Amino acid sequence: MKPRENSLLPLEDAREAALFFVVGALCFLAALAALSAKSTYGAARAWTAEVEGEYTVSLSGADATAADEAARLLAGLDGVITARAFSDAEINALLEPNFGKSGLPADLPVPRLIAVTGAADAEDLGARISTALHDAGHSAAVDAHAEWAGDVRHMLSISRIAALSIVALLSATAIAVIAFATHAALLARRDIVDVLHVAGAKDRFIAGLFERRFWLLGLRAGTVGALVALASVAVLIALGRSGTERSGLLPQLSLDFPDLAVLVVTPVIAGLAARLAAGITVMRSLRSVM
Amino acid sequence: MTQLRPDMFDEAAVRLDGVSLRYDSTEETLSGIDLVLKPGSFSFLTGASGAGKSSLLKLLYLAQPPSQGEVSLFGRPTSRLSRDELSAMRRRVGVVFQEFRLLNHLTTYENVALPLRVMGRKEIQYRRDVEELLRWVGLGERLHKRPETLSGGEQQRVAIARAVVTQPNLLIADEPTGNVDPDMAARLMRLFYELNKRLGTTVVIATHDLGLIRQIDAPVYRLADGMLVQENGEVAPTARRRTDPLRAMP
Repeated sequence: MKPRENSLLPLEDAREAALFFVVGALCFLAALAALSAKSTYGAARAWTAEVEGEYTVSLSGADATAADEAARLLAGLDGVITARAFSDAEINALLEPNFGKSGLPADLPVPRLIAVTGAADAEDLGARISTALHDAGHSAAVDAHAEWAGDVRHMLSISRIAALSIVALLSATAIAVIAFATHAALLARRDIVDVLHVAGAKDRFIAGLFERRFWLLGLRAGTVGALVALASVAVLIALGRSGTERSGLLPQLSLDFPDLAVLVVTPVIAGLAARLAAGITVMRSLRSVM
Repeated sequence: MTQLRPDMFDEAAVRLDGVSLRYDSTEETLSGIDLVLKPGSFSFLTGASGAGKSSLLKLLYLAQPPSQGEVSLFGRPTSRLSRDELSAMRRRVGVVFQEFRLLNHLTTYENVALPLRVMGRKEIQYRRDVEELLRWVGLGERLHKRPETLSGGEQQRVAIARAVVTQPNLLIADEPTGNVDPDMAARLMRLFYELNKRLGTTVVIATHDLGLIRQIDAPVYRLADGMLVQENGEVAPTARRRTDPLRAMP
């Protein structure tokens, strides 16, 4: 059987093995950053949706009975789903970090707390709670959790921009590295390029050889990087689930369809970026000769 | 196979008009060269080492633009050609490099077939021709060997086969017999001669092998101090008298 024709470019050399590692590592970091950005965004959405419509009412100078009465009053308001006065035990638990397990001094005036859950579409609920309590003769302060959620949302959006910037930076770095490597490969294979050039190969033909080579390199390196990122996320998920407690503020790691899409797209983007960088580099280099 | 067309003889295969070449800010390597080579002509280019033979050949195979003047091939001024047109023009020129420039990752067969692949030909179209050509240059048993496993003479024959496989209109050879024994040198010269006579290929051979020059009755151009002069009859007086230049060849 006749041997299959070889590519006009020689097989990979040590330089390309090093480039493979660099592109793979960059793809790993980019995929991880993209997954982190997505998880952070998801966690922020879940957390803000959770606290949306929640209020904490502080009643000054009221006892447990007055707090229960106020809670019943608030439960009757339009848009309120639940209203529940905190028990002494719950208030002590909240204050325990500051006052210790021995509890509060008996003469210390501590406000009674009422947890109110309102409908998400309830309009102006905070103000109506405040007015209702004032009209009933209570001295009350209403804390809408959504205001805190706004701050968290703002912070998380900055984190998301940072993560996306990292993805963009890593992508740009990968392109620059590939362009540099292509240029080096072109110099190293100048003899081949010259022979092809003299044989009448068009610039596009020569560029196509390098584009195919670097497209495959980017695709393979990106696949390895994405697979390592997938393995890393799987390990993080496993570690996260083995913990006894979870904080609602931390992004919950999971692998859903969009995450897998990120991992699938990463090698394709790496391959396309490599192909583009190689093509531009070769065409520019060839234009400098006759 | 390239067909000879009447219009191929209407215009010079190679025409240099006041061509000068200067690399960067150095002295002129070539200076004010005028040259006309008719289609189907056979010419030798000679001169001392460093006289500019390789530079002149580079201009002919379109690897280098002149600093001044115009290089025209087959009636077309190359300075006015687009990059794609230059590529198409290069396909009509076969080049044998002094240092062979074979690709070591390709087999003998693949090296010879390279210009055909560049031209977009399918292997099924050229396989038999390439194998036949390699058999003709005595490398029929070396089809799938890498160049690095071949002797210098064998590599040279691969380089020549690669240059002629497309049956170019213009064949340029830089010291094509420098690494082969006299018998093989004569055989290769027969190949060039047959291409010239049978296909009308214009042949330019750069050499300082006077023995080679004497074998064929052909104009000799000498490069000296960047200038080109024709030396008909002076360098190769015995060749002028031959009626069959290949008579003495094996």
